[in-house]
Amino acid sequence: MEYLLSLLPAMLAGTTITLKLFFLTLIMSLPLGVVGAIARMSRFKPLNLLMQLYVWLFRGTPLLLQLLFMYYGLLIAGIRLERFTAAVLAFVLNYSAYYTEIYRGGIQSIDRGQYEAAHVLGLNRFQTMTRIILPQMFKVVLPPTSNEVINLIKDTALIYAIGVSELLRVAKTAAVRDFSGTPFLVAAVFYLIMTGLIQQFFKWLEKKYDYYG
Amino acid sequence: MYILQALDIYKSFKDVRVLRGISLQVKKGEVVAIIGPSGSGKSTFLRCLNNLEKVDGGTIEIQGEFMVENGPGNTPSYRSEKELARIKRKMGMVFQNFNLFPHKSVRENLMLAPVLVQKLRPVEAEKSALALLDKVGLADKVDNYPFQLSGGQQQRVAIARALAMEPDIMCFDEPTSALDPELTGEVLQVMKDLASEHMTMIVVTHEIGFAREVADRVLFMDEGVIVEQGSAEEVLLKPEHERTRAFLSKVLMAR
Ligand SMILES: Nc1ncnc2c1ncn2[C@@H]1O[C@H](COP(=O)(O)OP(=O)(O)OP(=O)(O)O)[C@@H](O)[C@H]1O
Ligand SMILES: [Mg+2]
Repeated sequence: MEYLLSLLPAMLAGTTITLKLFFLTLIMSLPLGVVGAIARMSRFKPLNLLMQLYVWLFRGTPLLLQLLFMYYGLLIAGIRLERFTAAVLAFVLNYSAYYTEIYRGGIQSIDRGQYEAAHVLGLNRFQTMTRIILPQMFKVVLPPTSNEVINLIKDTALIYAIGVSELLRVAKTAAVRDFSGTPFLVAAVFYLIMTGLIQQFFKWLEKKYDYYG
Repeated sequence: MYILQALDIYKSFKDVRVLRGISLQVKKGEVVAIIGPSGSGKSTFLRCLNNLEKVDGGTIEIQGEFMVENGPGNTPSYRSEKELARIKRKMGMVFQNFNLFPHKSVRENLMLAPVLVQKLRPVEAEKSALALLDKVGLADKVDNYPFQLSGGQQQRVAIARALAMEPDIMCFDEPTSALDPELTGEVLQVMKDLASEHMTMIVVTHEIGFAREVADRVLFMDEGVIVEQGSAEEVLLKPEHERTRAFLSKVLMAR
């Protein structure tokens, strides 16, 4: 018990880093995904192709590779980013690519009749998107979004690889130092609490959006 | 003189020629019914009038303003998007599948466009929304969501929603085709009420009885052309063309 308590300060500090990366990534990649999806479906060919390339690159390579590239790759090229900055950059780019695809699917699942009704009522494109299409899309994409958000919590452990002291790295340091498995168990509990809370949050959101058929 | 003139409208999808020189002139207060077999281009024609499709050729003029005009070399030239938005506001459209906004209550469905497009104050928009719902007999459903309504009720809401924009012309594309037979009556009744208030209406329909009772003029369309038109009596009771007769006997047999 005393040992457990002695672990907590460092573990909590690691969790803070983990959560910081988590929230920064979400705050940026969720809205960027909406923009990305709209750009990805643009009738302007160059933009459309550019977005296809972007999505392909970031979904088609391991996040770990992207992370290593943003830090070590750029470092070798003479661009020195803070470790945490490099992590945020890699995560935002990677997750925005996933959200772009999720939202694109969501937008495409909305019936064409909705656009037509908005059009004959005189709504312009922007109003149609923000008032009619996107609100309905959010409901459709909630389940896949929630999956990705849970993945994100787990993926934060990857920044271990560029030497940022997030939760898992703290646990491993303690485990090696004390020759004990306990720190890993504590880390697992921390992750489970975080993913559990996220699950509850999305359950609540889905219920909230359940007000229409 | 005419509230709506569509002259010599052509429209193809890929190499399928759907409209092949359709002309329609409508006077204020007139009710025009369009009948014809499936695939004859009725919906496409209505969609062209509402700028949901762009014509390949022809002229559409609404209350003296050109939406699209045939330019040199028979290429249609459309007005700017902004102008089109303004001109189109005179047209209301009701779809076969209602196309209500599922995430918005009945009240919000009716208030949305007046507030966003006409810049009405919400209190004003709400007042007219309630009045329109009352008119279509659904005053008690303001706070419901579309999924809580029957098909007939949804379509009546859709009609009220179109009316909320105070259009001069109402287009209906088979407004009762998606409904169970016992629900068509309530929708047709709302449309009859509108007609008796001298709303200008263009109605694509398979309801021959409705056309006979309400339409001032009936058009029979087939393969992208208007085969025959005249008073409801002329076209429905004494059709001149063989194709019209064949179609009518098929539709009437189906009952
Ligand atoms: N967007 C489109 N792309 C390709 N073909 C189309 C499109 N819209 C309509 N068509 C074709 O145009 C023809 C006419 O269609 P339209 O919907 O106007 O017929 P309709 O008279 O309304 O028939 P119905 O009574 O079945 O509603 C059909 O052959 C249809 O397949
Ligand atoms: Mg049709």
